[in-house]
Amino acid sequence: MSGTLLVTRPKYDDTTHYLFYWAQEIINLAREKGIKVLDLDIERANKNEFESMVAKMRPSFIFLNGHGDADRITGVDDETLIQAGKNEEVIKNKSVYALSCSSAKELGPASIDAGANAYLGYNDVFIFSYESDKLSKPLNDKTAELFLGPSNQLMVSILKGHTAKESYDRSQKCFLQNIQKLVTSESSDASLIPYLLWDKMHQVCLGNKNAVL
Amino acid sequence: MNQDKEKDKIENREKEKRELVIARLKILPSDKKLSVGSSGDFTRDELIEHVEKKDEIGKKIVEVQMEYLRLLKEGFFYERNAIGHEA
Repeated sequence: MSGTLLVTRPKYDDTTHYLFYWAQEIINLAREKGIKVLDLDIERANKNEFESMVAKMRPSFIFLNGHGDADRITGVDDETLIQAGKNEEVIKNKSVYALSCSSAKELGPASIDAGANAYLGYNDVFIFSYESDKLSKPLNDKTAELFLGPSNQLMVSILKGHTAKESYDRSQKCFLQNIQKLVTSESSDASLIPYLLWDKMHQVCLGNKNAVL
Repeated sequence: MNQDKEKDKIENREKEKRELVIARLKILPSDKKLSVGSSGDFTRDELIEHVEKKDEIGKKIVEVQMEYLRLLKEGFFYERNAIGHEA
């Protein structure tokens, strides 16, 4: 499969710690499929490295993990990587999945207006729950999996060659399956349904629905 | 006078919402945390404190829970193929 995937994944608090390890699953899968991966991890998830790597290597798809706001997405230590009205043209002709809060509200549409191919993300805060004693092994955290599993499903689908819309649909379905599983379970995790439903309802697919890796 | 009554009515409604949300938060597992983006990570008891304080985090939690209750009322769980927003 052709295409290059660029991943940003800082790791400086509990939230980014979880996203860092769950993004590793996607990196591993991409490499297994022979897809070239540019991994801007930890300290390398900064604006200079990001802009320089995008300009030099021209990745077709960018998977951003970190904190965000309506008009921006950040890297290491909350350094802004892309901000609406400042440098959204950096993702021109590229597709993006932003696993962060709210960036699909303003940055997403601004990026599409500036020529981005597709922008998948969340138009409000992304919430997830995790088990306090699983910080050392985030991938073994079944509670976090309820939320980060459907998120990763979107990227798994992209790596399999599906379009942005198909990948969004698969992620939506995965959120729904987890919600339905909890509705009929006696697990205390059933009290997390409102947060899963929130993420599902605020996940969006903007731009070219037929975009692929 | 009417303005005062209206204000009281709104405040009472908001108070009822907060009490409902706090009751729902009490069933969250105590050994788990909730990541609310850049606002931070919170235990069940910390979330309850934020709702009681009526700060931004508390308001967001109330919003999430009220959206859930609204969708429940609209029959979300009875829809065969419930799907989210697509822009």
